[in-house]
Amino acid sequence: MESNNSRKKLIKKLRKHQHTVGKETGVVCTDSPTKNLVICNTGQINGLTEEIIVEHFEKYGHLDRVLLVPGKSCAFLSYKDTSSASEALEAVSGKLNIAQDGKPIFLSFVEALPEIRDAKIWGRLPPGLRIITNFVSEEEEARLLALCQFEDGGSMKHRLVKHYGYEFRYDINNVDKEKPLSEGIPQECDFLWRRLPFEFRPNQLTINRYNPGQGIPSHVDTHSAFGDPILSLSLSSDVVMEFKKDETICVLLPRRSLLVMAGESRYEWTHGIVPRTFDFYNDEGGCHCFKRGVRVSFTFRKIRKGGCNCSYKLQCDSQTATKIIESDLLAHKLENQHVHDVYEDIAGHFSETRHTPWPNVLNFVQKLEIGAVLVDVGCGNGKYFGHNRQIVELGTDRSFKLNNLCKHRGFEVFTGNCLNLPLKNSSADAVISIAVIHHLSTPERRLKALKEIVRILRIGGEALIYVWAKQQIKNDEKSTYIKQDRKNRKKEVIGSVTKEEVSVGEGVTLPVHTNRANFTHSDVLVPWKLKGEEQERTFLRFYHVFEEGELESLCQSIGNVSIVKSYYDQGNYCVQFVKNNK
Amino acid sequence: MKLLTHNMLTSKCMKVVTVGYPLGINASDVRVSEVDFNPDFVAKIIPKVDWNVLYNAAQSIGQLEGLPKDVVENYENDHEFLKKAHHALLEIDIINGELICPETGRKFPINNGIPNLLLNEDEV
Repeated sequence: MESNNSRKKLIKKLRKHQHTVGKETGVVCTDSPTKNLVICNTGQINGLTEEIIVEHFEKYGHLDRVLLVPGKSCAFLSYKDTSSASEALEAVSGKLNIAQDGKPIFLSFVEALPEIRDAKIWGRLPPGLRIITNFVSEEEEARLLALCQFEDGGSMKHRLVKHYGYEFRYDINNVDKEKPLSEGIPQECDFLWRRLPFEFRPNQLTINRYNPGQGIPSHVDTHSAFGDPILSLSLSSDVVMEFKKDETICVLLPRRSLLVMAGESRYEWTHGIVPRTFDFYNDEGGCHCFKRGVRVSFTFRKIRKGGCNCSYKLQCDSQTATKIIESDLLAHKLENQHVHDVYEDIAGHFSETRHTPWPNVLNFVQKLEIGAVLVDVGCGNGKYFGHNRQIVELGTDRSFKLNNLCKHRGFEVFTGNCLNLPLKNSSADAVISIAVIHHLSTPERRLKALKEIVRILRIGGEALIYVWAKQQIKNDEKSTYIKQDRKNRKKEVIGSVTKEEVSVGEGVTLPVHTNRANFTHSDVLVPWKLKGEEQERTFLRFYHVFEEGELESLCQSIGNVSIVKSYYDQGNYCVQFVKNNK
Repeated sequence: MKLLTHNMLTSKCMKVVTVGYPLGINASDVRVSEVDFNPDFVAKIIPKVDWNVLYNAAQSIGQLEGLPKDVVENYENDHEFLKKAHHALLEIDIINGELICPETGRKFPINNGIPNLLLNEDEV
């Protein structure tokens, strides 16, 4: 009786799950055996991986396909024959506890596997990519591995790295071409070039050592730093590498094989290795899984002389960097359309989202002495006012609506432009300008705004400047901007693949940034989404995101200032300086 | 716009202007509202203010209210003087009107207490 009851319960549960699968994926569940199975109640979203599926299911027969559906809590698999699928269902359904909280999974036959648009692709290579298997023998592999004795400590967090020829600097995503390293590519590598089916002689080598579980975030090698092609020799372990453009292609890099990235695959596709200890791959022979060993990769590149002029402009730092805004007239027009007008449109929503002052700015304001005159250049809604009752606060902003909000909150404000402050020389004891100067579109205008701040400061007065940093991840920590995206909280982020460009006049186009991602360009349009009554509207704000040291050197070029502090704060570069006598 | 703010504003950033200070005031709507009086705070501000400009500004909008023509000696301890300075600097708010460049006559509107000192491209 009891077993009959629990059986009924199980069937009821299974029916519920089958219904959900049908609703979520459109796949028809069936009770008559097929080769295809669905795991109804756990999937990618619950942390299920291909590896786990292979581990538990390969014992019942030859697995043809494993399919995880992005963002769903179900997964599919296909056996070569129906009997294997039946055997698996019988043995596992309601019994194998790999669902969330260690609960059992429920299986059902399905008529066919769903067509998934963004499923990972196997069996095809990105254009320009090739893999030469058995490029070195085991003996040669051993000789190459003996070259790299990593000293403990001198490493990156994710993997051990050593550079020859030139150092690749991860902070600026580039090499210093003026400063070659004393140690060039070891002679022991020379035999490799003769074996290449094309002429190539690299002058930079990066050796990476990955322990099982370590990976590398998806990235495109900086165009301006290196030429085409890029070679990577895999030693000591196989690994699966993911290539992404509009789709994700998975490629097995066998131990002792040479990966050649040329053309489109070098310039336009990102490549990366998912940090995990097992790898899953799919070939004519079906689905396989293997445990990763320690893998060492030798990446050979040639330093590029001059800029890059490839035809893959969206990923090209050289070509976006040269597409700078040259005329002041265009800069003016751009800032009107993509800064001033946008702030008028989004003022209300913007102000609602700007209520928490940055602690370091607050600290600067609260330390000001009684009677000090504080000017906030680009004060917005007056977020930094009202925190020190003993000072004079005067704000200025370009936005009428933000000024109205600021005034409404009881603060003194005038409408003005930070390039021409209508204030007397030396009238301020302190100035703050938070997240303002990055809205100016030429270096000259950014410098002019800083000079205006210095002009209105009294000698001995201090200013605090915040600008958005191009590096949104520093010392392995993501900025709050990046962390705000739930999807990014766990993922590693290196760059976003920018897809859209907008013309801003005079033949200049700017890339549209993907929100909550790291920046790939210095001059970008950043979307602000505003929910309207009927539809969502997107406004594009212009930003010049700063490189490390850029704000500092801009301030230093003014002459009569000394930098008190220079730091990185939650995705911003910040400089505090004091005005000197001369 | 408070008269303390007026004391700092200039039209010097216009390309044809050499001093641009002080700006004239045309006030059509003036509001006086009480602000907490802190004598130590006001005493610290006095040396930063161009007193003559403050006096003339208050006079031009009919808000002198017994403000002395000059800063008195030993003002730090002169409670009555500090109270009058406090009133002139912080309690008078020009809600609507305009500021006028002393050299070119260019007018800058004041609406809802906010002066607009934006310039056109050809003025800078």
